[in-house]
Amino acid sequence: MDLTGLKWLQQQQQMVSPEFLQMLGSDGREELRRVETYLGKNIFDTIDGCISRTSSFQTEPVKNNEENRAVALLNKRKSEGKTETREKKKKKIKAEDETESSMKGKSNMSNTETSSDIHKQDYIHVRARRGEATDRHSLAERARREKISKKMKCLQDIVPGCNKVTGKAGMLDEIINYVQSLQQQVEFLSMKLSVLNPQLEFHINELSMMADLRSFPLHQQGSLDYSVMNSNQTTSLVVKNDAFSSWDIHSQCPYNNLRTDPVSNFFSLK
Amino acid sequence: MERQIINKKKRVFSVEPNKIPPSEVFRRKYTSHLVPALKKLNMNKNSPQINQLSVKHEVDMALALSAQEFSWSRFLLQKLSSSNNPTTTSSSSNGIRIQERSGKEGGGDEDGETEEKLRELQKLLPGGEEMNVEEMLSEIGNYIKCLELQTIALKSIVQDTT
Repeated sequence: MDLTGLKWLQQQQQMVSPEFLQMLGSDGREELRRVETYLGKNIFDTIDGCISRTSSFQTEPVKNNEENRAVALLNKRKSEGKTETREKKKKKIKAEDETESSMKGKSNMSNTETSSDIHKQDYIHVRARRGEATDRHSLAERARREKISKKMKCLQDIVPGCNKVTGKAGMLDEIINYVQSLQQQVEFLSMKLSVLNPQLEFHINELSMMADLRSFPLHQQGSLDYSVMNSNQTTSLVVKNDAFSSWDIHSQCPYNNLRTDPVSNFFSLK
Repeated sequence: MERQIINKKKRVFSVEPNKIPPSEVFRRKYTSHLVPALKKLNMNKNSPQINQLSVKHEVDMALALSAQEFSWSRFLLQKLSSSNNPTTTSSSSNGIRIQERSGKEGGGDEDGETEEKLRELQKLLPGGEEMNVEEMLSEIGNYIKCLELQTIALKSIVQDTT
């Protein structure tokens, strides 16, 4: 296990744990202290036992580790708001203990095995909410669903008019209609081009470069605009265009990270 | 040191020192692919009528070549190169199907409906059926953006000739 990897993990842990403590809140921190005394021994000793019992599972290595932690922390937050039964308290203590230990265990060099495991494949530690199963399948299912809903939110920003509709089905409908309309537009334009092709002037390259970035009609009007736009209105090259400007915003979106192509300077990386 | 590297990775990269927005890059690539192809088409065809399908073929080819970072473009290239008769996206027929299906499944369970819609979406994306759902959703975003830019480029080309 190389030292650079451990150092990196240490940094990750350092980056996260203040947030973690902050999210816990004052009673959370108190609980943490209680946990430590309850166990009566060093937390690290319980790592092996805890991990076997916990509701953690392996996922494919994810590039953005902060995402995973956010997921784990978010689930933690959600469950804190609910009323606690005794049973749940136990679960909470156990799970809290394991999340805590998973954080600390990474930086602990004595437990090289666990840290190397965590380094190789990122574990998502998900807290089971009240009444939900903790077996591997439903957890995997839940994580998968959360990923999908996150991506849907990204898509919501791209597709115009998606904000008004709520719910997965409605949004998917919108997206489907939008893609279809785009494809139809392309078809129509290529048909037009085939008609006009003999008359093409071939200093078009310069023209299209200097051409105005006309705003994309679907954003402004509700209907598709098949008519050729009026060329009398000239705008500068730097015209703010919904379609273009929102592109850069989407560099924040996780789906841009999923490409493994090294030449990925085209669209900004995270 | 590692933190610096991590922070660096978070920055926006651009290939050239004077920053060119990626939309502009795509546009240049696209037009640089399409226009020579059209020129060639114009010269090669002895008959005055230029086949509409071949133009569509060139249009799709230009799209696929300008967006080679994405996996759907690979699928599109495969489709285009394998079939000599260029395939047209039968989007109109898809539209009708969607309306019917949503009418039928009004009372169905929510998950089944979503699954149906996801499958429809997969059909729209080139190569979407070979991907799993998460990947497909990411690719759809890129695909939509590229389609938008393509329409704008085509519009400007068409407009410049009229």
